[in-house]
Amino acid sequence: MNLNNHDAPANSWLQEFDHTADRGILVNAGDLKQLFSRCAWGMFTILTEMESVRAVEEIEINVNADDLPGLLVKWLSELNFFHNIKHRVYCRFEVMEVSEHQLSAKVWGEPIDPARHVIYTEIKAVTYHGLAITQEQGVYQAQILFDL
Amino acid sequence: MVWQSLRNKVFTRRKSFLIYNHLRPMSEFHFKKINEALWEIEPTGRMRVPARIYATEKMLSSIQSDNAPQQATNVAQLPGIVKASLAMPDIHWGYGFPIGGVAAFDLKEGVVSPGGVGYDINCGVRLLASKLNIDDIRPRLRSLIEDLFKRVPTGVGSAGALSVSREELKKVSQQGARWAVSQGYGVESDLEYIEENGEIAGFDTSQVSDRAWLRGLEQLGTLGSGNHFLEIGYVAEIFDAVAARAMGLFLNQTTIIIHCGSRGFGYQVCDDSLGKMERAARKYHIELPDRQLACAPIESDEGQAYLGAMRCAINYAFANRQVIAHHARLGFEKVLGTDRRDIGLRTIYEVAHNIAKIETHVVDGVERPLCVHRKGATRAFAPGSAEIPAAYREIGQPVLIPGDMGRYSYVLTGTSQAMMDTFGSCCHGAGRAMSREKALRAAKGRDIAREMADRGIVVRGQSRKTLDEELSEAYKDVTSVVDTCSIAGISNKVAKLVPIGCIKG
Repeated sequence: MNLNNHDAPANSWLQEFDHTADRGILVNAGDLKQLFSRCAWGMFTILTEMESVRAVEEIEINVNADDLPGLLVKWLSELNFFHNIKHRVYCRFEVMEVSEHQLSAKVWGEPIDPARHVIYTEIKAVTYHGLAITQEQGVYQAQILFDL
Repeated sequence: MVWQSLRNKVFTRRKSFLIYNHLRPMSEFHFKKINEALWEIEPTGRMRVPARIYATEKMLSSIQSDNAPQQATNVAQLPGIVKASLAMPDIHWGYGFPIGGVAAFDLKEGVVSPGGVGYDINCGVRLLASKLNIDDIRPRLRSLIEDLFKRVPTGVGSAGALSVSREELKKVSQQGARWAVSQGYGVESDLEYIEENGEIAGFDTSQVSDRAWLRGLEQLGTLGSGNHFLEIGYVAEIFDAVAARAMGLFLNQTTIIIHCGSRGFGYQVCDDSLGKMERAARKYHIELPDRQLACAPIESDEGQAYLGAMRCAINYAFANRQVIAHHARLGFEKVLGTDRRDIGLRTIYEVAHNIAKIETHVVDGVERPLCVHRKGATRAFAPGSAEIPAAYREIGQPVLIPGDMGRYSYVLTGTSQAMMDTFGSCCHGAGRAMSREKALRAAKGRDIAREMADRGIVVRGQSRKTLDEELSEAYKDVTSVVDTCSIAGISNKVAKLVPIGCIKG
């Protein structure tokens, strides 16, 4: 069962790319809310097998930043923090509100169960390196690199 | 203004330009040959000093195909940089600073940058050597690796080696390895053989966020993921008999290498500082060629705050490796059923390779205190340096250079040439030749653990994917890196260590 909240298959909007020792994602979306939500999904595909994650718990996330790319880093860092501290994996991301400086979202996931969840790696941090958000002809695009 | 231009830059990027479009094409750089192992990019534009890259002619083409030289020139633009922005032969593309980057800054005019240290603050390497011959170990190798794999938590969010209270964690961040020894993890004599004696002063616990404390609570004594590891090996070759004797190394001697850092505690300290440093850069009108180079004047409140928090993470990493070393000793005792004194796993030395420290160096004939950033570079102090243990004062500081899990690692010593040319620094490792993705493709359809076993190396990883990503051939041959340092005279080869067992994060 595919529990993500995206209307199209991930391979049509998510592209992973290589960096010498780390990994990055390039994400397309029709609007900002979708862009942020898809970036979160993209990040968790690096961490685990998304098909194995069930949306059984809900949390709310609110973050602020000085600008939009910074907000993307904050949002993903927040999710990575909860993943690390609460030992959770997430699979559904609903961005309720996003402006240049503020984001609020609802996120669903479940506690990590070693019997069902494979955790591939650890994301040390969401970096500012090569960070970009663009908009062209109605297509939003984000590029983000993770330090593994 | 700087901020505005950065933002405009971000928003005006077009789809087709994405993926590092802000980096200047390599062809714009002219690499002037200084000698067989050193190249220079002369200062142009906003560069305040030249960028100097240690490499042989053969290595240069692969370095040029990467964006690391651009990053070295970016670092050369930072205020107060002294002499040159340096890159070691294992240079590769990092965040902000290149991996393999060394830069020293004047304490009055200069800056401190979290990008010059990295997320894994005080990532480093400990070498232990046993009294035992490797042949004494081989029959029990598989049991040893299994035991160590259970005893030293690896992988993702790995927790549980040691649970400490918040109050206790504060002491860890102040006392480093000494805290661990005071709790019974290891012996007093370990401390003498750790850079900074395993404990750096100038920490400021009030600058560490709640989040960093939280991330640090569960992870003491854990390896972490990525390229971190614990390896059992042996001394396979000795190049410098005098230095090897001073370190107590002999042929076929059993060794342990531990490579890890400050775990989530350090990652969070770095992460927390970046936003603050970006605002500080605007406040002090520092133009940033790359957002990840966010920095603040060393003497500013922001600079001091970062240094205070970073030093807490440095101490955390020292304690972490001390606890792991202790657990490795326990594992050997249990599996071999031999007394600790007969196993004699002694700390040969421990180095940091992601760090910023205040050190005194001679520049143009004058002694000056400087803030030396080493990001993926190792301190390599010369014989006679007061900072190194008395037992090594005649040979120079031991420098530990891990290779990949299938080949070899090196023990080197620092030189006076390094003191003159690189602020007493040299390389830190092999560096990846393949991205993780490429390594996974190369490992497809293969059983890496079995291949390694066929070569006499028992490996254990958190997942099959971990081992695939850490494929031996995914790394460059570390020999070319250390040989380049030898040609440049910034380190001497002492011994080569070959692995027979490895646990991977």
